[in-house]
Amino acid sequence: MRRPAEILLVDDNPADVGLVCDALARTPYGSHLNTVSDGEEAMAYLRRASPFSEAVRPSFVMLDLNLPRRDGRGVLAELKSDAGLRTIPVVVFTTSGSLRDISRSYELGANCYLTKPGNLNDFVAAVQALEAFWVRYAALPD
Amino acid sequence: MASAAPTVSGKRKLCALLVEDNLLDAELVRHSLEHEGFEVDSDVVQTEAEFRARVTATPYDVVLADYNLPQWRGVEALDILRAEDLDIPVILVTGSLGDIAAVECIKRGVTDYVLKDRLTRLPASVSRALEETRYRQERARAENALKENQERLAGILASAMDAIVTVNEQGQIVLFNEAAELVFQCPASEAMGQPLHRFIPERFQAAHEEHVRKFTAGAATRRRMGKVETLVGLRANGAEFPMEASLSRVETQTGKLFTVILRDVTEQEALRRLRQRAEETLSKKAAELTRSNRDLEQFAYIASHDLQEPLRMVASYTQLLAERYRGKLDDNADKYIGYAVEGALRMQTLIQDLLAFSRVGRNGSEPKAVNANLAVHEALQNLRSTLDESRANVVCDNLPAVAVSRSQLVQLFQNLVGNAIKFHGAEPPQTRITAEKADTAWLFSVADNGIGIAPEHHDQIFMIFQRLHARAEYPGNGVGLAICKKIVEQHGGKIWVESDLGRGSTFRFTLPDCGSNQDGLEKT
Repeated sequence: MRRPAEILLVDDNPADVGLVCDALARTPYGSHLNTVSDGEEAMAYLRRASPFSEAVRPSFVMLDLNLPRRDGRGVLAELKSDAGLRTIPVVVFTTSGSLRDISRSYELGANCYLTKPGNLNDFVAAVQALEAFWVRYAALPD
Repeated sequence: MASAAPTVSGKRKLCALLVEDNLLDAELVRHSLEHEGFEVDSDVVQTEAEFRARVTATPYDVVLADYNLPQWRGVEALDILRAEDLDIPVILVTGSLGDIAAVECIKRGVTDYVLKDRLTRLPASVSRALEETRYRQERARAENALKENQERLAGILASAMDAIVTVNEQGQIVLFNEAAELVFQCPASEAMGQPLHRFIPERFQAAHEEHVRKFTAGAATRRRMGKVETLVGLRANGAEFPMEASLSRVETQTGKLFTVILRDVTEQEALRRLRQRAEETLSKKAAELTRSNRDLEQFAYIASHDLQEPLRMVASYTQLLAERYRGKLDDNADKYIGYAVEGALRMQTLIQDLLAFSRVGRNGSEPKAVNANLAVHEALQNLRSTLDESRANVVCDNLPAVAVSRSQLVQLFQNLVGNAIKFHGAEPPQTRITAEKADTAWLFSVADNGIGIAPEHHDQIFMIFQRLHARAEYPGNGVGLAICKKIVEQHGGKIWVESDLGRGSTFRFTLPDCGSNQDGLEKT
């Protein structure tokens, strides 16, 4: 078995962070969940800038679109145009089901787009399926 | 009328009528003419009656009449010619004629007189008479033509729809037609001789003068005015009116003449303003619509994200509460949490339905010809589990292609068939889909054997979130038919229901024909 995955969750809503955390705690993969709450922090984390100098490169990123300061679209655009970061898979994980957001995200290079399910069970199932896919089935670079 | 013309041999033909009682004299006259190169074709008459008969039957070039005949005087031949409206020169050929008689004859219109003992003078006299006659006739013809031209021109001027005004170099009006009288409300008698300025508002006079000055200096002799900017005319009563005009210049012996042909465009101008106002209103409405559409999109986005997010928190955490604390609080607590979860989840479906409703027709793709059979097939696939559960039977005629986007057509049938099954009666649900041509559209029918709808609810059911039953009886938010209505109406169609309680329902709707363009048929 591989070493535990490092997941970066970029979300400003502590309630959602709690649900994701809760969902991942009940899987056998033991992934590490790292969370930041806005776009600026996300970029700092990925570039190991202060205060994230000890940060580990994530296996994949779960990115909310609507964030304070710098929003998820900005993070996605910058990440995917950075030669050193662009191989990191980005899963857009947001409340928005808007067609505009979906197509814009893929245009910017998102690897997957997931609308947060409104029902708790679906939400938990989605997060767990996501983890299983990227950690267990998908082959990742590096 | 025949005239003396040179023959091939150089002789001039002459058709002459001789009024003579002396045949020898007649022969002498003929001889004298032939001697001088005339080829004479002549008749000889003696009486007034003979003369009249001959002269009206033959086009003679000349009448040569003896002055003194036993029955009548040759000079009276003039009266006959005049009475018959014949222009034939008369030359008296006579034995003797006193000076007084000669003067009287000339006065009466005789062209010349020649004494019989001086017949050598006759050919020259005849030649001159012929020449004079030809000249006189040509002049008469020219005068007639001129008169006819003038009459024709006057006719045109009088009947012209456009006002025609001519001014001389001094700027005085020398022509003012009937249309001008009407347009300027001024009789021609009053306008003639007036300066043109009288019919131009003061503030435009300088500009007009400049216009004419430039035109005079330029090489062009015609110009269209007011094609770009409308000119303004002044009626005699002081009212102004918009006009279009063209200007032309003619150089005559007495100086330059300027002719303005103009048209009162008050009505066209009023129409133009009306159209412009209508266009302005329309573009304002279009802008409002665009803005309102943008607002709607903004609203849809807010609904899809900003409203959903807190709602999701409520739903998720009340569900978490229910899951983790079931049985740990009291019975009421479990019930209350259950209501909260149910409410939040229902709110989510309401928002999603509202979004689905607002998205109808906003994907903006141009409707192609879509085979309705394929759309029904896809709709039934989507309803498969429902159909199986209720053991429903759906019969579908061969349907036409219509100009509606595929996804919308699928949704339309899916919603209607879904309703037909959901609202079934005691019998297993039976649904029949048919179509018939109605002018340029197709009339579709989806008929079921379900519970039916009371007539007073026939309009209400198409409104969003309108429901006729308790949720426990029939689930749903009341959006399906509202979406159907929106899809149909966006394609210019109508949808309605024919039903009564307990008698099943038939939903009918019209959709545009795809214009028999089977090539564009979408394939699966």
